[in-house]
Amino acid sequence: MSSFRTHRAQWIILAALALLFLLAAQGMSTRDWLVTVLRGLSVAAVTFLVASGFSIIFGLMDVLNLAHGALFMLGAYVGWTAYVRPDTVIDLATPVLLFLAGFALSPALTLGLSRIPARLRERRAFAWGLLAAALLVLYLALPHAPMAAWHPGEYTDSPIVWTQTFEAERVAELAQPAVAEVPAWLVWSGILLGGLLLAASLIAFNMQRRPPVAVASAALRRGLFLFLALLTVALLIYGFNTPLTAFMLSLSSNWLFLFAIVMAVITGVGLGGLMESTLIRPLYERALYQIMLTFGLAFIGTEIVRAVWGRSGFTMPKPELFAGRGEGCPATSIGGWLQHHCSTIVIEIAGEKARIRTYNELFLIVMGVLVLVVVWLILQRTRLGMIIRAGVQDSEMVEALGIDVRRVFTLVFALGVGLAALGGVLAAPATGLSDAMGAHVLLTALIALAIGGLTSYPGAAVGSLIVGLMQQFIIKYGQIGIQLPFMDEPFKPTPPLVPASTVLLMVVVLLLMPQGLFGRRE
Amino acid sequence: MTRLRPHISLLLLLLILALLPFLVGLLDGQSPASMLAGEAGRSKFIQGLMIEIFILAIYAVSYDLILGVAGILSFGHAMFFAVGAYATGILLKSAGWSLGPTLIAVVGLGLAQAILFGVVLARVSGITFALVTLGLAYVFDILIKTRELGEYTGGDVGLQGIPRPDFLNPSDERLRFYYLMLVFAALVYLLYRRFVDSPTGRVCIAARENEERARMLGFNTILFKFVALTMASISAALAGMAYALFQPIVSPEVAGLGFTVEGLLMVLMGGIGALSGPMLGAALFKFMDFYFNKWFGESASFMVGAIYVLIVLFLPYGLVGTWRMRRRDMLAGWEELLERWRKMMG
Repeated sequence: MSSFRTHRAQWIILAALALLFLLAAQGMSTRDWLVTVLRGLSVAAVTFLVASGFSIIFGLMDVLNLAHGALFMLGAYVGWTAYVRPDTVIDLATPVLLFLAGFALSPALTLGLSRIPARLRERRAFAWGLLAAALLVLYLALPHAPMAAWHPGEYTDSPIVWTQTFEAERVAELAQPAVAEVPAWLVWSGILLGGLLLAASLIAFNMQRRPPVAVASAALRRGLFLFLALLTVALLIYGFNTPLTAFMLSLSSNWLFLFAIVMAVITGVGLGGLMESTLIRPLYERALYQIMLTFGLAFIGTEIVRAVWGRSGFTMPKPELFAGRGEGCPATSIGGWLQHHCSTIVIEIAGEKARIRTYNELFLIVMGVLVLVVVWLILQRTRLGMIIRAGVQDSEMVEALGIDVRRVFTLVFALGVGLAALGGVLAAPATGLSDAMGAHVLLTALIALAIGGLTSYPGAAVGSLIVGLMQQFIIKYGQIGIQLPFMDEPFKPTPPLVPASTVLLMVVVLLLMPQGLFGRRE
Repeated sequence: MTRLRPHISLLLLLLILALLPFLVGLLDGQSPASMLAGEAGRSKFIQGLMIEIFILAIYAVSYDLILGVAGILSFGHAMFFAVGAYATGILLKSAGWSLGPTLIAVVGLGLAQAILFGVVLARVSGITFALVTLGLAYVFDILIKTRELGEYTGGDVGLQGIPRPDFLNPSDERLRFYYLMLVFAALVYLLYRRFVDSPTGRVCIAARENEERARMLGFNTILFKFVALTMASISAALAGMAYALFQPIVSPEVAGLGFTVEGLLMVLMGGIGALSGPMLGAALFKFMDFYFNKWFGESASFMVGAIYVLIVLFLPYGLVGTWRMRRRDMLAGWEELLERWRKMMG
């Protein structure tokens, strides 16, 4: 009972919302209601993937990562690339791994740089010089890396056309292997050198801030091992480029979709870790600057997407498992779908047929629930989760207990961005890709979080649920109209009212409970 | 004379700005008489550009007052501006009011907005306030773009065909408009300067630095913040009014989040909390916007993003802020350079 009293306002609002959604069933048929609820849940699932990472990052390190939407979008585009043009990914693997190999040597570089006389090392020009050299070498080497790709400028070679080629299953036929113009060893050693120089310059910048510490020999050995491993894998991939490409192109779209998910998550995790460790770390305690920085990064990310994939949006075909059209389709039950891999399931409710898309309305929801449960388990049952939960409560105390918070910060940031990228690649087949999808999902996630409580994990889930359902119900009412009291004609909300309604709900909730539904009181 | 000394640079700047249209005209060999008649030429173009800068400068400095001086994080500043612009347009065009009553109405609306935000401010603070203001501004943005109100607001296209009083016609009487805006911008700056130096402004700064302590000293900080909010809201609304009178079309972009972000960039470039900084930032932004669009075309926003990141990383106090902090060092370095030169020359 005491728990009810402390959370009274929370329960009242939740009960009121639940009542509203139940009442919503009055104005429409059961079939419409079911389909709308499923669509709402699917929007909620995608929103939740973005919101959960955002909320954990904000809770743990007070960083309002406004680039989260752009990273979601990047996840979608990278996923599209891995899905439609796996040959590009294979071509890209060698330079990227070589570049990373340079970073793997960081311990050895630290050791090397600490031998340089401090007088030279601590000059600003030293670090800047290294950085400039790294950028110059990369600028010279990268464009010559042989890479099969598309060109958004020419329509016949644009992502739109490649998507159609993929749907016609002709990518393997039409994808041209890249031609190397410059000897490969030159390009590869250039990229390796660029990575090394970049790593060295970052270390030099760090050394200006704090004096070098001794490098453990274990770290040295580990770094060397990692370096050799990355080098070997990169060169192996280069050596077996042709058979690998042929193999990837012969895979079924289900496996390619899995590959796309893995690639998007890896990209997200990598970019998140990089962002935190280089750009955001110097700016803790300065909230406004973080906001500006992440906002600037969002701008840059959007422009990169536009430059690489073009300005016009395109679609991502659904994997085979959810795209069947032929015999036995539309299925009438889950079993029928598993047998024929239909794109839709039609079930009868109260004499009406309800069309349920298997990807949008089943798979996305299942994935959302899966992530919800997995992240919840990580938060509740693992040591990392314990540190995160403790850090959200009081990060200074956690630091005082001797836990290396910096590493946890980087890890959590990387994982949070990875979740956003996962959301992106999962949403892409359902909603298509466009350069506005990042800003849109960020706004939705922000609203969901504000409603649920900015730093609360269950709050992120409930907020996403409310926003998703509300959006879809208003869209549905826009189609069929709603009978409001004191109005003769059925009221049809216009499309702009969809975002406006959720924003208004956010404003109301925040004014009633500034911490959101599940946020802790300050 | 001694009393004017500290203000010498400001007076000099005002003098230059006052003479600027004539200087440009003389450089182009245009006679002052033809300029006074409002004939086309480079001078007229520069006047137009400067008027836009003055309007942006007032907008930026009003944002700085709540952001940098009072320390309130608000993401709804574009709404302050857009309400002034749209109110002016609708009252002049659809309601057929004359300029005087419209001016009073705009001031009243500015006050009303400040009260709305003040009510929110009394309840929530920090990042929540930012989100609520973002939400309010977003709803306003949606409202003016809806088709139902298109008759009054022009919807997506923007508000066109606002009747302008003859004595302030932006094409025939541009010089008069120019001086009016110059005086207006200078007045806003002086008023803000005075405000920051006044006891009320000092309490605002104290509340920004440590709200608890200011409250402990017996100040109702909400009230002081509300004063700053009111000043900012009214001057932004008036800037919006000037925008509606000057531009041929009130674009719905001024109500969007993008315009708030541009304001933030101006404030940050110039130096947050330094009143003259954001005004300088507004001028820089206008030039940047102009040239980036010219040079980079569609990828101009990449440069804008890059500038955001670079400023945050390397110039966190903005141009004016950094200058104020490191003026002595810079001047000393300059002296040293001159000294070396002199030695080298023998």
